[in-house]
Amino acid sequence: MRSRRDFLKTVSVAAFSASAAHPLLSWADAAPIFIPGKDGMIVRSFRFVDLEMPVEFMTEWITPVRHFYVRNHMFEPDKIDTINWKLTINGEVEKPLTLSLADLEKFPNRSVTNTLECAGNGRSLHTPKIPGIQWGKGAVGNARFSGPSLKSVLERAGVKDSGKHVQFRGLDPVPGKVPPFVRSIPIEKAADGDTLIATHMNGAPLTAHHGFPARAITPGWVGAASCKWLTEITVLDKPADGNFMMPGYRFPNTPGKPGEPVKPEDTHSLTALTVKSVIAAPADSAKLKPGAQVIQGVAWAGEAEITKVEISTDGGGSWSAAQLGKDQAKYAWHLWSYNWQPTKSGEYVIFSRASDSRGRTQPAAAVWNPSGYLYNAYDQVKVYVQA
Amino acid sequence: MCKLKFYSVVILFAAVVAPAQSSPNEQLPTGPAKEKAAAACLTCHEARIIVQQRLSEAAWEKEMDKMIKWGAEVDAKDRDALIEYFSTNFTPDQPAYEAPRTARDAKSKTKSRL
Repeated sequence: MRSRRDFLKTVSVAAFSASAAHPLLSWADAAPIFIPGKDGMIVRSFRFVDLEMPVEFMTEWITPVRHFYVRNHMFEPDKIDTINWKLTINGEVEKPLTLSLADLEKFPNRSVTNTLECAGNGRSLHTPKIPGIQWGKGAVGNARFSGPSLKSVLERAGVKDSGKHVQFRGLDPVPGKVPPFVRSIPIEKAADGDTLIATHMNGAPLTAHHGFPARAITPGWVGAASCKWLTEITVLDKPADGNFMMPGYRFPNTPGKPGEPVKPEDTHSLTALTVKSVIAAPADSAKLKPGAQVIQGVAWAGEAEITKVEISTDGGGSWSAAQLGKDQAKYAWHLWSYNWQPTKSGEYVIFSRASDSRGRTQPAAAVWNPSGYLYNAYDQVKVYVQA
Repeated sequence: MCKLKFYSVVILFAAVVAPAQSSPNEQLPTGPAKEKAAAACLTCHEARIIVQQRLSEAAWEKEMDKMIKWGAEVDAKDRDALIEYFSTNFTPDQPAYEAPRTARDAKSKTKSRL
């Protein structure tokens, strides 16, 4: 495995090459950053790699891998040798297992189309500002993940009555004294038949950025529940310990005042995503001609179903239903569109808001919380109609 | 003649290097604690994770202490200067950081959904 020193050396050489060229090439700084396999993504961080999908790509039901967001807490593991890669299942089980990739392929294959969203998506939109990756709207994507269900693997190992939670651990190298990215989910979710040990994404083997050779997919839940580069699954009698369970990835039990601290005992661990829509087009600040316009975007609700998306073109004064796309799956987002016919020139504020099968509606203001999770206020763009 | 050869080589070098990769690394702003900030933070992070923050001094203090706990090597006598450096340069009232994009893939429109 490549060491951190090697990685830094590579980066340093690349940085030196670029800076050496700089005096000759003043335009070079404006050139985009090249990351193989990724196309036109917003670079929130180059190291560790954190890439966001621009909203204009949110017009396809299945997000191509090249446009799918990347959230890494640590370094990515260097090239993983699939011959020697093993996944161990241990803890509160009758028969601990060590599985190779070939072993995993012998389990029945299950596919789930899932909208994966980083818990911190939209953090930059909270006020007051919150530390962390300043995600805009695109730390989200919808893909078809395939592999054995976690249930089938747990059944092979035989979960003891004492097994109540399932902990994932990945191969991402931990820098310094940073706690490892270890989290757990309750056994009911782990063994529901839809939670996967995914080896494929959109019909192809996972890429390195997305957890090759295997990752957890916990459908409908925050992205942090879907550990990448899986190497160990441990069945526990209680939730996992560690920074990424407490104080990480927790949400206030009751909304507090924006900017106010929240006591750990007044929080709960994040699970399913909430109801949310995003406008993909027109772009914010777009200049439009009067006449027929299509407002379009996506909406999702974690484990719930989207029941409607409404659009306001007068800053929230009145609302009209958008048309939902035909493509549907239990944990997947809906495309939506709305035909708009602006007749007068001027400035328009367009809102979108989604509602779901649990009676939730996207609110005018999101719940501020100290880590900036689950931002889901109405989405909005301002456009200018000019004859 | 020699000069001409030299410039030809330089231009050739530039043509090869430039389109392939601009610097992926953001730069820290100048200031008295810049070098110490680089030594403490950029071993693990790229500077972009810092320059995109818009935080109060109290929030910077909290972040600094978290990072020291997680292994950032900061001499105790430098802690306050680093907090001042960050909280002076990256304040809540500044406009949002404009993040760059990765290169567009010219073939993306003809590719499959992979």
